Amino acid sequence: MNTLRAVSRLAIRARPARSFVRTYADAAGPADKIRLSLTLPHQTIYKASDVVQVNIPAESGDMGILANHVPSIEQLRPGLMEIIEEGAGGSKQFFLSGGFAVVQPDSQLSVNAVEAYPIEDFSAEAIRAQLAEANKVASGSGSEQDIAEAKIEIEVLEALQAAMK
Amino acid sequence: MVAAWKTAGLTYNKYLAIAARVVRRSLKDQPRLAAERRGQMELKFAKWENGKQGDMKQLSTQGQ
Repeated sequence: MNTLRAVSRLAIRARPARSFVRTYADAAGPADKIRLSLTLPHQTIYKASDVVQVNIPAESGDMGILANHVPSIEQLRPGLMEIIEEGAGGSKQFFLSGGFAVVQPDSQLSVNAVEAYPIEDFSAEAIRAQLAEANKVASGSGSEQDIAEAKIEIEVLEALQAAMK
Repeated sequence: MVAAWKTAGLTYNKYLAIAARVVRRSLKDQPRLAAERRGQMELKFAKWENGKQGDMKQLSTQGQ
């Protein structure tokens, strides 16, 4: 330990001290971009890609995240996530089943969800059929747990329907 | 505000599993088949006593 300290002290003397301070900004990409990682348990959709803006369905309300956003942790409700990329890529929309988003101080955004699919992969027909079924269960005389499950399904399906419009 | 699923005694994990299951079921046929295969899991267990395996018990499957 002492040797290490001695060496580092020497090193500091040899060069201007500032070069040893590694700030968050050094690790981050372009200043006006947010570095997005969108990961599922079984797949990585975005891996540290620089994008312009990300809109996420947080439990506390929809929010748009740009570069240099305040660090925060948000719980996500089932909903639509929009990723705005630079240039011809335009924007991409994914439906998330719920998870968490973490904004780090160096303009990094990690979104973790259980399932995420492009909105065009969903079938309006399947959603309608399931919604009818879930509504029947929710207003039926099943156990409290069955009703609670049906209510979760309704929440997800209604969010899906709204997202597909 | 406490979520309705919480008052019904469901855990957050269970809530996420249900939401994910319903998302998988809402997909178009091709991605749905691939996704539903992935969502299936099963767990069975047996208790060992005095060096002998007891009855094999199946825990209910999820995500089907």
